[in-house]
Amino acid sequence: MSVIEVNQLTKYYGKSRGIVDVTFNVEEGEIFGFIGPNGAGKSTTIRLLLSLIHPTSGSAKVFGMDVVSRGPEIRRDIGYLPSEVYYYEGMKVIDLLKYSASFYPGDHTQRIQELSETMELELHRRISDLSYGNKKKVGIVQGLLHSPKLLFLDEPTSGLDPLMQRKFFDLIRKENTRGVTVFFSSHILGEVQRLCTRVGIIREGRIVEISNIRTLQQNNYKKVSLTVDGSNPLSFDMPGVTNLQAENGTVHFFFKGDINAVLQKISSVQVTDVTIEEPTLEEIFMHYYE
Amino acid sequence: MNIFLRELKANLKSLLIWSGIIILLIILAVAKFSAFAGDPATIKMLDSMPPGLLAAFGLNAFNMTTISGFYGVMFIYFALMAAIAAAMWGSESISKEERNKTVEFSLVLPVSRSRVVTAKALAALVNCILFVLITWGASLVAVQPYKPDAAYYQFLLLEMQGMFFIELIFLAVGLLLGCVMKRYKLSGSTAVAIILTAYFLSIVTAMDKSLDWLKYLTPFKYFDAGTLFRTGKLDPAYMLLSAAIIVVCLAMAYVVYNRRDLYI
Repeated sequence: MSVIEVNQLTKYYGKSRGIVDVTFNVEEGEIFGFIGPNGAGKSTTIRLLLSLIHPTSGSAKVFGMDVVSRGPEIRRDIGYLPSEVYYYEGMKVIDLLKYSASFYPGDHTQRIQELSETMELELHRRISDLSYGNKKKVGIVQGLLHSPKLLFLDEPTSGLDPLMQRKFFDLIRKENTRGVTVFFSSHILGEVQRLCTRVGIIREGRIVEISNIRTLQQNNYKKVSLTVDGSNPLSFDMPGVTNLQAENGTVHFFFKGDINAVLQKISSVQVTDVTIEEPTLEEIFMHYYE
Repeated sequence: MNIFLRELKANLKSLLIWSGIIILLIILAVAKFSAFAGDPATIKMLDSMPPGLLAAFGLNAFNMTTISGFYGVMFIYFALMAAIAAAMWGSESISKEERNKTVEFSLVLPVSRSRVVTAKALAALVNCILFVLITWGASLVAVQPYKPDAAYYQFLLLEMQGMFFIELIFLAVGLLLGCVMKRYKLSGSTAVAIILTAYFLSIVTAMDKSLDWLKYLTPFKYFDAGTLFRTGKLDPAYMLLSAAIIVVCLAMAYVVYNRRDLYI
């Protein structure tokens, strides 16, 4: 069953583009990665699904219900972690969480305790005194405390240190094994690869690709940089290599294909330094669509 | 209920500040009154002023040397403060969520926007009621040294009713502005601009008979202290007009707020 069905969804803010003709489905129980550079329309898509803003044309359904007409019903089973969290500054963390919990049926006290222990959140501090990362932790607990069936995460890791990021990912995986569907928006390819099964790539408001994470990885470019002694850089001009640049004894290129071929090539020449890294998302986009 | 209670708490500080200001105004005004009280020279001085000016400030309807007359002249200032406070409470309660970027929290909760507006409007209404009661109470205490007669108490009660109506009108206007204006920074100042325009109209309309029709445009004239003093009751026609304004403002506020994009 599709938890999210988006059909030719379009949003213009006046004349400026939000998203155009976006169509995709998210199935129950999957972690769907939504990836794209800043300003591509990721947050716009999420806000449309949460009915914070209304579509210019097209439609979207969550849990089979139209997002425009049945927002409050849909939101009962949704948890949302915005990219930047803002809460009522004067409130204490625990009061805010209790306030949030009061909108969902049932008692969530124990869950608040468990989640804030996991995320090492201090409950009795004032929101206004919290650092950016700590506010994010409040957001995580607040988004999960009512055990939602669908989670929207909008660039959730910004502001969290690596240790917290790992705890957060573990938490999301645990929720997912309980059957929670996750919509994970990010511009960091690495974290999407770690977590997601399927990804949609959005660029300048349009979906350019929806694929399995494995397919995407196989198509993935590596960015290779070498410092070479005296060797002819052009010897690296082999199948799968693009954008070859050489200057002052350093060689840069992108490689796509079997990584062993490149490693053999490298080992055949005298090098003083090697880095092989993930290209940035922008670099992938640049090459993916040339 | 939870939104209403949280809103009440968030509004409390503002209510205390406004109450402090009105209490101070009453104390200062009544202290000033001690200079006019029963003083024939005051009447003489007022009589020498141009009648247009007296009419503009409502000084012709009252005998300034009695406490009732003095309160009649003071009424427009109470009404003005009540109007500004009510409009601010109305517009702020909606627009602050967008200004402080808390809409991404408060409107992702499983509540409809109508429910949010209703809860906030009711919380602001409580503030308005308390503000009238405080003004009333402070007036009752402050005038005790002048041993007012029964007529004063009746007139004060009438004034407070008028003040409450003015509050309701501008609360509705404030809510409308908060709900409608996407440029949330401007909703508070627009509300104040509307109120000052209405106040200005209320002065202008009293100055000349040919401008009399302007009185329908300014709620301050619906509950004019001079008329209240003379007739001893609120004019039902104006009460109906007020109710119509309130209903239209609220209806527009709900419709637009439900349809529009939130500014994030």
